[in-house]
Amino acid sequence: MTTLAPRRRSTNRGGPSVGRPGAVWALPATLFFGLFALVPLVMVVVLSFTQWSGIGSPRFVGLENWTDLASDPVMMKSLWLSVLLVVLGVVTQTPLSILLGVWAAGHQKNRAVLSAIYFVPLLLSAAAISVLWRALLDPNFGIPGQLPWLFGDGNLLGNQAGAIAVLTFVGMWQFTPFHTLIYQGAARAIPQVLYQAAQIDGASTVRQFFSITLPQLKNSVITSMILMVVGGLTTFDTVLILTNGGPGTDTTITAFYMYQQAFRSFDFGTGSAIAVVLVVVATAISLLVVRLSGYDKMQSEQEGI
Amino acid sequence: MNKSTSRVTRFLAGGVALAVGLTMSGCASGGSGGSDRPENEIHVAVYGDSGNTVEQQLVDTFNKTSDVKIVLDTIPGADYQQKLQTIIGTSNAPDIFFNWGGGSISDFVESDLLLPLDDFITEDPGLKDNFLPSVFNTAVIDGKSYGIPMRGTQPVMLFNNKQVLADNGITAPATWDELLEAVEKLKAAGITPIALGGADQWTTLMWFEYVYDRVAGPELFEKALAGDPKVWESAASKKALGMLKDLIDAGAFGTNYDSVKFTDGGSPTLLRTGKAGFELMGSWEYATQQDVDPTFAETNLGYTEFPAIEGGTGDAKNLVGNTNNFYSVLKATRYPDTARDFLKLMYSDEFVEAQLGIGNLPTTTNTPEFFQDAASPDYAAYQFGLVEAAPSFQLSWDQAYPPSAITPIHQAVAQFFSGQIDEAGFIQAMQALK
Repeated sequence: MTTLAPRRRSTNRGGPSVGRPGAVWALPATLFFGLFALVPLVMVVVLSFTQWSGIGSPRFVGLENWTDLASDPVMMKSLWLSVLLVVLGVVTQTPLSILLGVWAAGHQKNRAVLSAIYFVPLLLSAAAISVLWRALLDPNFGIPGQLPWLFGDGNLLGNQAGAIAVLTFVGMWQFTPFHTLIYQGAARAIPQVLYQAAQIDGASTVRQFFSITLPQLKNSVITSMILMVVGGLTTFDTVLILTNGGPGTDTTITAFYMYQQAFRSFDFGTGSAIAVVLVVVATAISLLVVRLSGYDKMQSEQEGI
Repeated sequence: MNKSTSRVTRFLAGGVALAVGLTMSGCASGGSGGSDRPENEIHVAVYGDSGNTVEQQLVDTFNKTSDVKIVLDTIPGADYQQKLQTIIGTSNAPDIFFNWGGGSISDFVESDLLLPLDDFITEDPGLKDNFLPSVFNTAVIDGKSYGIPMRGTQPVMLFNNKQVLADNGITAPATWDELLEAVEKLKAAGITPIALGGADQWTTLMWFEYVYDRVAGPELFEKALAGDPKVWESAASKKALGMLKDLIDAGAFGTNYDSVKFTDGGSPTLLRTGKAGFELMGSWEYATQQDVDPTFAETNLGYTEFPAIEGGTGDAKNLVGNTNNFYSVLKATRYPDTARDFLKLMYSDEFVEAQLGIGNLPTTTNTPEFFQDAASPDYAAYQFGLVEAAPSFQLSWDQAYPPSAITPIHQAVAQFFSGQIDEAGFIQAMQALK
């Protein structure tokens, strides 16, 4: 919205009634945004300086929540765990969804049916998915109970490595279809003429994938990664239902820790402080990805075609 | 537009977009409390579940003769405490509300939101004398009564699979040593001795509650709750932890209890299918088993008190668990007399009969007269006997403490069982409770 203003001044000097819509058009969206995004954000920042159990009025305690948080081992651990889960998510989901997306962009015979089946997780709620996998991974009556040679005693959620592996796997199962969809669309948009030229030059399918498809998907990779990062940092439902932050605090990621403090312990001050940390961290990471990838200077991949 | 402003814009946009998701739920503040409460009606909030039929029935009975009408608001079960916490300080707060006594109302008492019921009791002593004292005391805070029992009692008992015990030549253990022997026998037979839904955490807590009670008596926990953290380092406390450690190391719970839940049917199924011999659980275990397999519940599900521990100072008749649920009254209510008259129904014959009919076990002194109405008379009589004879009925630790302590308690017991923290770590965690 804001970028429109200066340009409008330069191009429409002739008369205000012609050309691009004015700022009034942005008013409903701005109001909505302010009411449901900015106002709550400010309120949370204010709450982070108070002690409030939800009863009565919040009591200002200055920086107490913040200093407590700075020396809280669970808080630091939760940030690292969040980052770890995000990295694991990106590393596992990106290659898989690129391959599937490129495959699904083709015109093979069974593609439509298989894709449709594959997209089912996208239609399920995160809670349903978590409950489903919780049952499937039950050590006595689920898959591990049937395959003791693979899973041992099936105590997947009883140690940190197992619990993180389960969360990563379920995240992959849940979100890969969505990112596949992004890559499918992007792969479809690659002009056929590029492949035709490559074929005339005698390039193999693998060579075509690495020299044409992947470079052409660059912007989609960044888009999908930013979605994964922001989504991953705010993962909550799967942790709540699958591991409940455990064993101990071994999968207590920041978003879950915020919930625990605010809605289990009724310490809304600390919960709000964690929320603010999460906002800042997630924004910083997103900006970092944008900056490093050159997404902000993004240019079309089809220049010269 | 220069670069730095666009960066700021983007930063704001990104941060704000995230904040939407994070904060929408964080700002639940209500209107101001005050005297703008509705006229000629009072609201009763209860935990929404199948038990509501009885509550509705009593409300209907009451409304037949009362000018001030009662409106029953059922609040869907999950997160009841959270919802209550959100509305209790507002003008929409219910006049009378369901709770678990102890820590579930101590914050409200501290904020001076609740009406002490002692004046009602002076007018009508039946409001106290008609209930079993061990239960009634759960809602007594700082010497004042704040709650009237309004549902059924749920003591924790040691359940067993009679068939599994018989097959392995075991009789239900009356002492700790007998329990250890049974564990060895079951382990040798390739059966998980004790089913434990450790992923739920409160299930693990029950073991601490009983072992501490048997070893040190209820006084240790009472002192800790009253604000004396030193008791956690006492010799008795360490002895209790040592006994628990021995039980875990003996393989009593198998190895994968951290991945098993009670709430999704995991651990009760282990017991029912004979893959485990015992389970320590609240009295609702019976109903849980009955739902899936009525024949098993009736013929094969055994139940006993928690074993006695030799050399311990706690009475072997002591109980832990949910003593009952309670109705508490809001100080700001417009019609305290109506509230009082409604509470009197909680020891009426109609109440007792209706509760027994849906499988709850009320804790009024006249309950035994109606056992023939119970869903399972023997089981009801057995439990009532336990509660009546119990010198002490300790409310579960996670409900005796205010809600802020629930997560640390659950984490400490789970970490102790999985070996992530040792005796010193557990003591430290409990001492840090506020």
